[in-house]
Amino acid sequence: MGRTMRNLFVAGCVVLWLVPLYLLIVNALTPAGGYTGEPDWLPGDFALLDNMRTAWDEAAIGDSFLNSLLYAVVCGAAAVVVAAMAAFAVVVLPLPRPAAWFWLIYSGTVFPLQIFLAPLFGLYADANLYDTRLGLMLIYAAWAVPFAFFLIRNQMTTMPPEATEAAMLDGASFTRIFWSIHVPLLRSGLGAAFIFQFTAVWNDLLFGITLTRSPEVQPVMAALTTLNTAYSASGPPVILAGALIVSLPTLVIFLVFRGLFLRGVTATAR
Amino acid sequence: MTDTLSTAPAPAPRGSRTRRRIPLRKPHRAPRRTGPPAAFGGPLTAIPWALPALALVGVLLVYPFMRSVYGSFFEDNGFTSRWTGLDNYARLADDPIFSRSVLNTLMWVAGTLLLPVLLGLLIAVATHRMRLGVVAQLVIMLPYAISGAATAVLWDFMLTSDGAVNQVLRAVGLDGLAHPWLLEWPHNTLSMIVASTWQGTGLNVVLFAIGLRAIPRETVEAAQLDGASGWRMFRWITLPQLRAVTVVVVGMAIVNSLKAFDMIWILTQGGPSRSSETLALTMYRETFRLFHVGYGSAIALVLTVIVVASAWMYLRRQMPSAARD
Repeated sequence: MGRTMRNLFVAGCVVLWLVPLYLLIVNALTPAGGYTGEPDWLPGDFALLDNMRTAWDEAAIGDSFLNSLLYAVVCGAAAVVVAAMAAFAVVVLPLPRPAAWFWLIYSGTVFPLQIFLAPLFGLYADANLYDTRLGLMLIYAAWAVPFAFFLIRNQMTTMPPEATEAAMLDGASFTRIFWSIHVPLLRSGLGAAFIFQFTAVWNDLLFGITLTRSPEVQPVMAALTTLNTAYSASGPPVILAGALIVSLPTLVIFLVFRGLFLRGVTATAR
Repeated sequence: MTDTLSTAPAPAPRGSRTRRRIPLRKPHRAPRRTGPPAAFGGPLTAIPWALPALALVGVLLVYPFMRSVYGSFFEDNGFTSRWTGLDNYARLADDPIFSRSVLNTLMWVAGTLLLPVLLGLLIAVATHRMRLGVVAQLVIMLPYAISGAATAVLWDFMLTSDGAVNQVLRAVGLDGLAHPWLLEWPHNTLSMIVASTWQGTGLNVVLFAIGLRAIPRETVEAAQLDGASGWRMFRWITLPQLRAVTVVVVGMAIVNSLKAFDMIWILTQGGPSRSSETLALTMYRETFRLFHVGYGSAIALVLTVIVVASAWMYLRRQMPSAARD
């Protein structure tokens, strides 16, 4: 394969990948009223902020955006702490049958969500958790624990056991060992796990449409789906502006914390 | 427990010059490798640490899982349920919607292996050690940072009858190829596979790139000395060295294609007339739209068995070495 061929292939792929993104931005710039019914290929007026405002206020992306921010930050952080504690128990402490515990907790990432949905719906209806923020946060936290556990556990096994032993000789309690030795040393691993789970919760659609109904509770991807059907006739610009809004947090995280982001998603390959 | 350790002074204040005894290990005092040191307390010390994780996962994931399996033996419309044994599974066999759904699922699996995995491998190899290769990888990775729902909304805009794809086809004089992409089977499934290729290839590129960087330079140099280059180098050196990564990429690609939901739900809702449903969609529609809860659980179980079976290869690799016994 010649060098030219290779360059052409890569350039072609890059262009193909950029075209949809370009169209997304150009058409989110078009004023909603001025949309011709066919996609624009050149930027005309700059109505992005108006479109975003319409999507944010009238289509209620705004409320859901804040909801999802709450869900993703709180559940991501809670899951990381809970998972780190479990990893500490499995790796450092003398938990009997570590393999069984590992699989019990890890099984949550393997199964498709569909296997949990129907009983969860019943459970939530009985416990008055259906369509509440608390209910959604509980399931997000639970769903985020297994993979965070996997990531943190993998990193914790690389820590020399001597660090723990030395701390024990100095008379530190488990709580103290955990918070002043393991947590600081695993900072980047915990960060990677948090970013991974933040993204996962932020991007979730299935739990959102199954376990909630009202716009005040719905996460942002569910709101985007509603927007997509509600505005399909009138305005692709508004819909695309909405898509842009909901993508911003994960895009920013990806661009700023690329190393940590990739560490989470590629952990399974190492 | 702390008694045995209390000879060591309490953590000395920072900066103090107290000389600490450094514990030296002599061979006869080396920690037993067979079990954790007794100083770590009994087996129950660890339980409180694992309990929160276990409670969350147990109540909200493991219990619903069991309940789903159990529920699949019932005829259940959400209000009343009746034990029917394996009837739900027998019904699957002659449900035409289920067969179409299985066919679509297979198309998704095959399409995902063909497009994102193969393309990911090609792009990773092409951009490896290339000037600006990292930039190209970044661009292709970019859609992966966007959610499935946002991608679907964007591709909805691309694929509708007067969307960008048809516009381009008409502009270059290929009117015959312009289709109402989302309204006819099999075009709807195929075009959604293309849309998910746009999103998912970046991950495979990154994974393969990691594998490529891990190939020892000596191996490549030895092959070069032997006169290998181009295709022969790729076929006999690169590809075998990428085996471990390939197992993971293929496993993850299959699992992700089986789990694909957001894209299809937003683009077609499984329609028109349920022609583009995959198993994930069929389960959702049967359970939450048609209230065939038991039947939906049976489909969910079938899907889970397929997912776990195809994930087995790469799961085995991830198993902690301590867990292998």
